[in-house]
Amino acid sequence: MNAERHEELAALAALDLLTSAEQTEFAFALASHSALAALVDSLRSASAELAHTAPAVELPAAIRSRVLATIAALPASGSKPSPLNAQPSAKLIPFPTWLALAAAACFALVAAYFGQAYQTEHTAAATLRDQQNLTDLALRSTQNQLEAERLIARRELADATAKAAESSGLLARLESRLTETTRAAAAASLQLASSREQIDIARRDLAARDQTVTDLTRQLAAQGTLTDYKISTLASLLGNTPQALAVAVWNPANQEGVLTVQKLPALAADKDYQLWIVDPQYEIPVNGGVFRVDPATGETRVNFRADQPIKSIAKFAVSLERKGGVPKAEGQMVLLTP
Amino acid sequence: MSLLLTPNASAFFACPALAPETDRAPTPTRMTETAPTEPPDGRHVVDARLLTLVASGDRAAFAQLYDRFSRPLYATAHRILNDATEAQDIVHDAFVAVWEKASTFETTRGTAFSWAVTLTRNRAIDRLRSRRRRAELLDSSAPSDLGLDENSSGPSADVSAATSDQATAVRAAVATLPIDQQRALELAFFSGLTQEEIAARLRTPLGTIKARMRRGLLKLRDQLASNL
Repeated sequence: MNAERHEELAALAALDLLTSAEQTEFAFALASHSALAALVDSLRSASAELAHTAPAVELPAAIRSRVLATIAALPASGSKPSPLNAQPSAKLIPFPTWLALAAAACFALVAAYFGQAYQTEHTAAATLRDQQNLTDLALRSTQNQLEAERLIARRELADATAKAAESSGLLARLESRLTETTRAAAAASLQLASSREQIDIARRDLAARDQTVTDLTRQLAAQGTLTDYKISTLASLLGNTPQALAVAVWNPANQEGVLTVQKLPALAADKDYQLWIVDPQYEIPVNGGVFRVDPATGETRVNFRADQPIKSIAKFAVSLERKGGVPKAEGQMVLLTP
Repeated sequence: MSLLLTPNASAFFACPALAPETDRAPTPTRMTETAPTEPPDGRHVVDARLLTLVASGDRAAFAQLYDRFSRPLYATAHRILNDATEAQDIVHDAFVAVWEKASTFETTRGTAFSWAVTLTRNRAIDRLRSRRRRAELLDSSAPSDLGLDENSSGPSADVSAATSDQATAVRAAVATLPIDQQRALELAFFSGLTQEEIAARLRTPLGTIKARMRRGLLKLRDQLASNL
């Protein structure tokens, strides 16, 4: 038991507020801690001073007289029986006087004996009355305490019952909410899974698009810009078909091009038209490949590549060659960049 | 109105002595009629000596003790019971008990005043509980039923003027306690309620109430030791 608990018990004892259990605990504490009794006494003295805080009221003077009259009829608290043994006198007394004195002494002894007996019985009766009064007071106090405790217990029981009912209702509501929340959580979980799947698809799609963009960017970078393209118009050098025309577009980045031809005369079976690319770095035009035209319209569109790397193009030219083409132009020039 | 409901709970111990000095007419001291104020230890020594004389059957000493104790004892009984007739009966019985039991008083176990207060307070609380049980009003009794109604027991101006220095010092010491400790001690001392009833009355956990009583009483003891 710690000092704080001792102080608490001492304070409750000083205020006469110890419960039955605390009284037992307090008795043990008193037996084992000598200083506790002094603490209780000091606190009891302090608590008694609270009497001075009660609003003063005038006490009728008659009460004083009544109290003094009452105690006047009572023996003192510490009164003790008077001594019975008188000291015998050493003086010689004449026989008749002695006889009278002896008779008086006997009478006095008898009277003293009965007086003593009366006093003893009176004191015993008073003690018994006090004890009975104290017992009655203790009984009433105990009954009052039991009654108070019964009422408090009944009230606490009612409160506890009400709280239990309230708690039960609250529990049901909480369970219902828990069920709803669980359901909502399951639905949210499903929606979350679906959303994750959609996000994965979107991510894959985005990655594919990114890849496409990257490829296109790379291709675009590879193809270069439109301003880098070489576009040339080839005019006819033929007297019989002056309206013949060709357009050559050359992509220097890819080293490839497209040739579109219109209204060139149809060729004999053993002939081909052959495209030439004039690059100043080479002494002779570079072969761009052979092609034929639609005999009915004289038109065609062909993709072509050069036999050698081209740095810059001065002109395009088309010659009429034998079937399959030649390494160096031999035949008649039919189209030429002006 | 119940004092429990007053905003300033120090009104429990409220007392004319705490009123401004200007509210009270000065009381001239007459050396031939009024003894000089005794120091606190001296007061208790005198009380103990008188009680010893009472134990030996000295009725004059008993009359002196009555004059010294009767006012606070009657105020206490009246505060507890809120009934003048019952309080007078209690004071009568308490002083008769003082006469009959004076020889049982031990000077080492506290002051004579606290011994007399205990005799009076126990009787008043027994009477209060008996009355309360008879009426079976424990559950519904209002604070005023417990004798805590300040309005019905205000002191007269004459009595206020005669309030002793001792009462003034005690009230000043009580005023230094926190309000919640004042409330707990007031109910513990004057209401006759049990610990649990006090806790219920103040709507405070029982452990807190016990702690307030402990702290309050310890501080009051220390304050009284330093003030008196």
